Amino acid sequence: MKIEWWLLVSVYVVATGILCFIPKNKIRLGVVAILFQQMITFLIGLVVVEFGLLEYPVRFFASINRTSFTFEYYAFPVVCAAFNVWYPNHRSILIQSGYYAGFSSVLTFAEVLIEKYTDLITYLHWEWYISLISIFLALLIARLFCVWFFAKEGGF
Amino acid sequence: MRMEHFILLLMWLFGFIGFILFIPKKDWRKGFLAFMMFHAIIWLCDMPAFKYDLLRAPVRELPKAADLPLTIDYFFYPVLFSIFYVHRRVNGSPGSRITYFLVWVSAASLLDIVIERYTDLLEYEFLTWYGMWMYIGFLFYISQVCCNWFFKDKAKFLGGAVGNE
Repeated sequence: MKIEWWLLVSVYVVATGILCFIPKNKIRLGVVAILFQQMITFLIGLVVVEFGLLEYPVRFFASINRTSFTFEYYAFPVVCAAFNVWYPNHRSILIQSGYYAGFSSVLTFAEVLIEKYTDLITYLHWEWYISLISIFLALLIARLFCVWFFAKEGGF
Repeated sequence: MRMEHFILLLMWLFGFIGFILFIPKKDWRKGFLAFMMFHAIIWLCDMPAFKYDLLRAPVRELPKAADLPLTIDYFFYPVLFSIFYVHRRVNGSPGSRITYFLVWVSAASLLDIVIERYTDLLEYEFLTWYGMWMYIGFLFYISQVCCNWFFKDKAKFLGGAVGNE
């Protein structure tokens, strides 16, 4: 089996592993983060492929879908769930910013490595900093939604 | 403009109006959750359904990126489900709840079948009309079970779960 398929399978394994560590009283927060993130990745993922900015040469459901089902349906939403579940809510603004920066840059760094060394993703008209910014924005919007969703009743 | 594009526009329009009109503001969380849950499930189920040629979407919004119908999967059916979910009777008799479920599933299937027959938005390949009825029933049922699980204990999720109390 090609290295790409091993990577895809291991992404599923690792993501499922992360899910198992989510504390029981925060499962619903994780669910909302996953579902909401899927709404973002589904749309943006399709649009960037439609406009030829990125391509995913090796992918699941290749015949009907040119986007990365693994990343958009599972990997990134799960990361977003982890992001929200362990969010340092009562810490200083510096730590919160660092938390955003840490998640965004680790994900971007992983993507750049994957782009460079495998056929899972190819940048056509794309740069690493666009990934960085879009990942940051996606995490931010999802966080805002989760805060609204779980605010006490009558809070809007 | 082709009739198909016009119908897609109407779906967005009616979807937005329907959500605002039929889901009271106090139920928005429930509505959103139902919407997102259905979206996640139809996305997952439509991938194999389209891959194995059960149906096709000849006219679609982003034809290069995916063979899936974006408006229907992403927006219109999730809105239908969220209206269904918010208005279902929780304490009704089993008979009335089953009737409510069947009426919604049949109406959604009928709409799907009409779209299939008279437009190029959907094209059934191996799927039949009763197959679509069962498929939509399955999607509604699974989504309802997942949403019911989510809301089964109010105290568990309202306030505090984010840590912003």
